[in-house]
Amino acid sequence: MTETDPLMERLEVGDVASDISGVKWFAAGDLNPRQLAESLQKQGARFVTITAYELPGEEGFCLEYLWDLNGQLLGFSNKVANKAVPSVFDICEAADWIEREIHEEYAIEFTGRTYEPLLLREGDTPGVNLHEVSK
Amino acid sequence: MSYKLPMGPYHPGLEEPYKLEMICEGETISDAKLHIGFNFRGIEHLAETRNYVQLIALMERVCGICSFIHTFTLCQALEKLTGLEPPPRAQYIRVIMAELERLHSHVLWAGIAAKLMGFKTMFMACFAYREQVMDILQAISGNRVNYSMNRIGGVNRDITDPQAILNMVKGLESAITSELVPVFTTSWTARTRCAGVGILTHDKAISCGVVGPNARASGVAQDLRRAAPYAAYAEMDFDVPVQPDGDVRARLLVRALELLESCRILRQALEKLPAGDFNCGEPKMVFMTGTAISRVEAPRGEVLYSVSWKQNARNPSRVHVRTPTYVNMPAVRWMVQGARVADAPLIQASVDPCYSCTDR
Repeated sequence: MTETDPLMERLEVGDVASDISGVKWFAAGDLNPRQLAESLQKQGARFVTITAYELPGEEGFCLEYLWDLNGQLLGFSNKVANKAVPSVFDICEAADWIEREIHEEYAIEFTGRTYEPLLLREGDTPGVNLHEVSK
Repeated sequence: MSYKLPMGPYHPGLEEPYKLEMICEGETISDAKLHIGFNFRGIEHLAETRNYVQLIALMERVCGICSFIHTFTLCQALEKLTGLEPPPRAQYIRVIMAELERLHSHVLWAGIAAKLMGFKTMFMACFAYREQVMDILQAISGNRVNYSMNRIGGVNRDITDPQAILNMVKGLESAITSELVPVFTTSWTARTRCAGVGILTHDKAISCGVVGPNARASGVAQDLRRAAPYAAYAEMDFDVPVQPDGDVRARLLVRALELLESCRILRQALEKLPAGDFNCGEPKMVFMTGTAISRVEAPRGEVLYSVSWKQNARNPSRVHVRTPTYVNMPAVRWMVQGARVADAPLIQASVDPCYSCTDR
């Protein structure tokens, strides 16, 4: 942490790498989404959403996790290797639908959880809505 | 013996298509599953093929009720990417439009809730009140639904006669205060159909990340207008109604009280409307490379836009929309557990769901 920030001092893990247009972003470092979810849940932060990005070339995907703590938006960016990332659903119930949606739209696996179809109907294939169609 | 009872995707109790698959023991619901996606339009993907002018027109169509809120949130994100700051008059006009949209959304919801309660007289009355709000929106924007008010750096249309709008708001406030709110808060029908029904506990509201009036009706005092003020909300004096009970009646009360708070904000904004420009003119739009995130307190709760742009690109590289119903609807599973089957349509409607937004 480069400067004293009472909001961030309350958090158990992670340093704030940057404050970009009102969002405080955690430095990735050794953090993973589950550690951060556990810590933020303890602090009373509200899970907001995950935004999935397809990175250029063969770089894969990036997931941006967003949390709200007393009106302050907190972000954590996580690159996805091999199209698989640990699920935070068991820690944070609110992540259920967005993990299912990202799985269906980008075919990213959130490991450690089971899925039921959300947007898709029976016989549909995950990963065709946004990811494959655009190619 | 338990049995499955599907409600939807097309059902008289639903305003839009979604499916609630209930597991029942006799007349009692023991569990439920939700299925969405019947309105999926791929708008987030479509947004990646639109320039900034087309993008605003497209995102206005994410929702038919909150069309202003969607472009408002989008334009705030685009303003971060272009560095354009809307002038104070534009910020006030945005507050006025946002509160008018909250009024018409809440009154529309009250009408639908009344219909599902079997209170058809109130349904007709609510839609008559809503017409008054629509008249004001039309007087300001020229449109009743998609207002085309927002642009990057301000708004497209000025409020040339705030006093005339103020008079319309005062007439509406008087009708809401003397008729709508008392009926909904004191009538026997509303009380018996709503009290103790469809309870979402405080803890469950927090763990589900529920937002807006649904959260406030479960004792979660969160409102972005207060917690993270945007536009001119920091200059407005208003209360955030919170109810502890978490039932359908609490959701009804919160929205009824919010109608009065919206009128209060509208009066202040119209009386204090600053002079000056209402947009930044026609500057050359230069987008910085990066991601901008913007949030607004819509009638149903927090709307979030995450917009990514690469410098010199014609189109955004990613637009992600997180709508309030998207986080509110999973809580319906917990609201209907233990409820009677006959209450299911009212309980799901008490969330004020919008599947157009949810499916995008």
